[in-house]
Amino acid sequence: MNNIHREIVDGKFCVLKFDQPGTKANLFNLETLTELDGHLRDIASDYSIKGVVFISAKERVFHAGADLRILEKMNIAGLKQFLTLGQEVFGRIASLEAPTVAAIHGACLGGGCELALACDYRIATPDRVTKIGLPETKLGILPAWGGSTRLPRLIGVTQALKVILGGKTPAANQALRYGMIDAIAPRELLLSVALGMIKGNRLPHRSGWLRLPLPNRLYSRLIAPLVRSRTLRETRGHYPAVLKAAEIVMASAASSEKESLARERLALLELIETDACKNLIRLFFMGERVRKSEGAGMKPVERVAVMGAGVMGSGIAAWMSSRGVRVILRDVDPKFLAKGLERIRKSFGNRRVFTEKEARDGMDRISPIATEVPLDHVDMVIEAAVEKMEAKQQIFANLDRQASHIDTLLATNTSALSLAEIAGATKNPGRVVGIHFFNPVHKMQLVEVVAGPQTAPETVQRAVQFVRQIGKLPVVVKDSPGFLVNRILVPYLLEAGLLFEAGARIVDIDEAMLDFGMPMGPLRLIDEVGVDIATDVTATLAARFGDRLRVPGELDQMVSAGWLGRKSGRGFYVYSGGRKIVPHAGMDTLRRSHTANALDSSQLQQRLSLLLANEAVRCLEEHIVADAETVDFAMVMGTGFAPFRGGPLRFVDVFGLSKAVDELERLAVKAGPHFTPSPLLKQLAIEGKRFYED
Amino acid sequence: MSAPRMVIVEGVRTPFCKWNTHFASLGADELGRIAVDALLTRTGLDPVLIDEVILGCVCQPAEAVNVARVIALRAGVPESVPAVTVHRNCASGLEAVTLASERIAAGRGSVFVVGGTESMSQVPLLFKPGTAKKFAAFAGAKSVLKKLGALTQFRFSDFEPRIALKLGLTDPVSGLNMGETAELLAREHSISREEQDLFAVQSHQRAIAACEKFSQEICPVYVNGQAITKDNGPRADSSLPALAKLKPVFDRQYGTVTAGNSSQISDGAVALLVMTEQKAAELGYQPLGRLSAYAYTGCDPARMGLGPVSAIRKMGRSAGTADVIEINEAFAAQVLAVLKVLGDVPLEKLNVNGGAIALGHPVGATGARLVLSALKELQRRNGHRALVSLCVGGGQGGAAWLERD
Repeated sequence: MNNIHREIVDGKFCVLKFDQPGTKANLFNLETLTELDGHLRDIASDYSIKGVVFISAKERVFHAGADLRILEKMNIAGLKQFLTLGQEVFGRIASLEAPTVAAIHGACLGGGCELALACDYRIATPDRVTKIGLPETKLGILPAWGGSTRLPRLIGVTQALKVILGGKTPAANQALRYGMIDAIAPRELLLSVALGMIKGNRLPHRSGWLRLPLPNRLYSRLIAPLVRSRTLRETRGHYPAVLKAAEIVMASAASSEKESLARERLALLELIETDACKNLIRLFFMGERVRKSEGAGMKPVERVAVMGAGVMGSGIAAWMSSRGVRVILRDVDPKFLAKGLERIRKSFGNRRVFTEKEARDGMDRISPIATEVPLDHVDMVIEAAVEKMEAKQQIFANLDRQASHIDTLLATNTSALSLAEIAGATKNPGRVVGIHFFNPVHKMQLVEVVAGPQTAPETVQRAVQFVRQIGKLPVVVKDSPGFLVNRILVPYLLEAGLLFEAGARIVDIDEAMLDFGMPMGPLRLIDEVGVDIATDVTATLAARFGDRLRVPGELDQMVSAGWLGRKSGRGFYVYSGGRKIVPHAGMDTLRRSHTANALDSSQLQQRLSLLLANEAVRCLEEHIVADAETVDFAMVMGTGFAPFRGGPLRFVDVFGLSKAVDELERLAVKAGPHFTPSPLLKQLAIEGKRFYED
Repeated sequence: MSAPRMVIVEGVRTPFCKWNTHFASLGADELGRIAVDALLTRTGLDPVLIDEVILGCVCQPAEAVNVARVIALRAGVPESVPAVTVHRNCASGLEAVTLASERIAAGRGSVFVVGGTESMSQVPLLFKPGTAKKFAAFAGAKSVLKKLGALTQFRFSDFEPRIALKLGLTDPVSGLNMGETAELLAREHSISREEQDLFAVQSHQRAIAACEKFSQEICPVYVNGQAITKDNGPRADSSLPALAKLKPVFDRQYGTVTAGNSSQISDGAVALLVMTEQKAAELGYQPLGRLSAYAYTGCDPARMGLGPVSAIRKMGRSAGTADVIEINEAFAAQVLAVLKVLGDVPLEKLNVNGGAIALGHPVGATGARLVLSALKELQRRNGHRALVSLCVGGGQGGAAWLERD
């Protein structure tokens, strides 16, 4: 019972300091919640206390809310009790006679944020680690310790919807704009400013008439139908938590606090049972594990040389530089460097992400060079040149001499070429590793770390640690064509092309997969990737998996017609600038038959998703990654595979393994042998096993 | 025990671009950062080894005073390494080099990044002191009414700017503009307009011919998606008849000094890596050469163009024994006057790749460029001794003697 330190300041102010021993975060479980309850009872009955400040002793966390691990394990009765206790404790804060202030430094998330919302005032530090918000809907649940009730009352229903439905966790200045906090104060002065507020003469003024009870109530009624239809459209019904949260937030203005809290409880108990919630929480934990740094003792990477200033090279350089790494950006011609630097300058130009100073520092950390220079003092070289084996081998052969320091990691960003073959060009293949970023680099969190047969284990470990250092999610994969993500994605994209060729409409194919829960339809994705790039990657994969890879004929025709996708303005769709994107009518001439035009949405979905899942099973079978969870995590993070489904393997679990085998065998007869179910899938189906035990 | 000798290990410069052209948007800090960054990247030097960064700059940007420090930090030199900006007008870039050698001789460090930077494009327009006072009164006025009152004090004439570049190019002691000092020398040493124009045409022709050679010392600058890889001052079409058409700028009636036979106003930066001979050997560098003598002298501010004469004499080395000679071309008239007075300068070795008339004269950077260009030429010719000299606004001369084994 020493997670919270209580201290009396100036004889009449009580400071409650969260400091859970043995961890960097503060979390709520039954024990800590009960402890807080005890303190609050004492305070409520002590009339000498004229104010309460909540503060944290941690470096990076104010309070991270409920401990999700116990949430996952609890039964419904236990959960109900936990939920009620939390609401009661926060209700106690809200009803304290003495003024209360949350003095926030570090993450203030979920239950932590709800605690702050129960206070009379909130102040926060401007530091980067300070984030205030309610990310619950991202995990398939909703704020149920009064967050869905108190936030709309504090900042008005429109803003509250934005924060809660978006699962937003804004920094202090944005939180101040939303009205979630009342003031910003430097960390050193946080407590004294909080105490000053209580002393009465510095109570902040809150503006905005929309958050007043009556307008708030009328306004929620007015926007409710719009919000409902928009949320349904955006989530396609797959994320019930978002819908539920919207209803509760909008209803809160018109109902008593007690009613609204009861609704929160009910909704949470319902949501926690959904597959979506379970899958989202599972992915969240997987993400935490991937982020967790085991090699924390390793020296951080300070200098990196990037070979190649193309789209990937400049993207990687910009990302690393934005994370404080100094980058030598090497290309053979100043013209390529000029283009690459211009791309980087534009990416730093986003003022919502970078301040002017951060952008300048980011540009300053990049040293462009068009001649050969010594690379003995860089920690790592990342090659991002053209996807041609000879070119890459030549670069790596040169690196033996240029980057002669044996501790310098040599990495390639190849997306499909064999790492072993590239590494073969060097004298010491043990230090060669694949670090495969996805395009666009600043958006895609996943990075595949490719371990070749000769890559030293320490090299892999350092590469993984480096990926973590720059804030990306590393997944270690085996050196095999297409590695993991592209290998699983390509057959799926090609199948969409085959379906088109056989008469299915572009819109039908893409809509079907959007309904499935993909962030983008497969044909649209081919356009985004670039038809030429897609055929290139396909060619590499076809060399190894030729028998399983059926390549639709229209792709080559598109390339020769110059319909390369978005970048050329024409592909499966026509891009006329701006937002308007329409199916490309000219594509109709490329169809071969009309056998697929009778397929309905669910048939299209099944065909595409099962083919994708089947390839995912093969990857597991071939040990491309360690386990099923990693396959699923990589597909969700690397391609946006419907997160609520938990990944392709989890999807098969829910779909049913025997059913999947039956369907695939049926398709193999009807649509081609590339649907033949993988041996592992068949075996597990026969044994009655699943990919996940739960 | 003799003092350690200083060698110049490597150097780079940005292209020199006429003011308000390619580099108009880049300040002296940005140009300097690009040069220092390129120097560090090319040499692969661990910046922790640097003892100090010394850069020349005449018109420091108002938003980056002690511009050397700003440049050092932005180029990734560790915070613990100090930096100083030096100012000896046109010889500021040379001053940075010689100051480093003095530091080394005094045992105060062994590795220095030196050079110079100047953005003549971004030299600001100024308000008159009286106007500034009125602005202060306006800012200080507490109420709206008082602010309005303060506003009424402004007159149209208050907003007529003072051009800092023009002020900077005028010597306050003699009251003469730099061009006027050149006119004086032309008259006193009877240097004709034709002689001056001929000298200017030759400077352009040599600079055009040296374009390829300069790529060895230039680091590209990337602006708006373009790579600027060449100086934009030299004109292939420069000719006597074309120059003859220009009107004298400084003495419109009897003058001979025109924009065509004067140095160009330009933007650019230079960075050199210098260290003790011993340190260079330790780090495995093959130096370009070493600084073996130098001198600064004072002279009549109205005849500042003759500065090289006294400086070279004081240095005690004979121009005749040099393989490469760089005398800064502030004005054709001024260089020709120096040659006449000295009498022993071998013309075939003088400014063989053109000079500031073609390449431009970003004042704070030029001194360091002369050292860099001379050393690179010495290397190409496999020569052994180079003489570098400049005249300095305000009545000074600077000279340096470089040697290569």
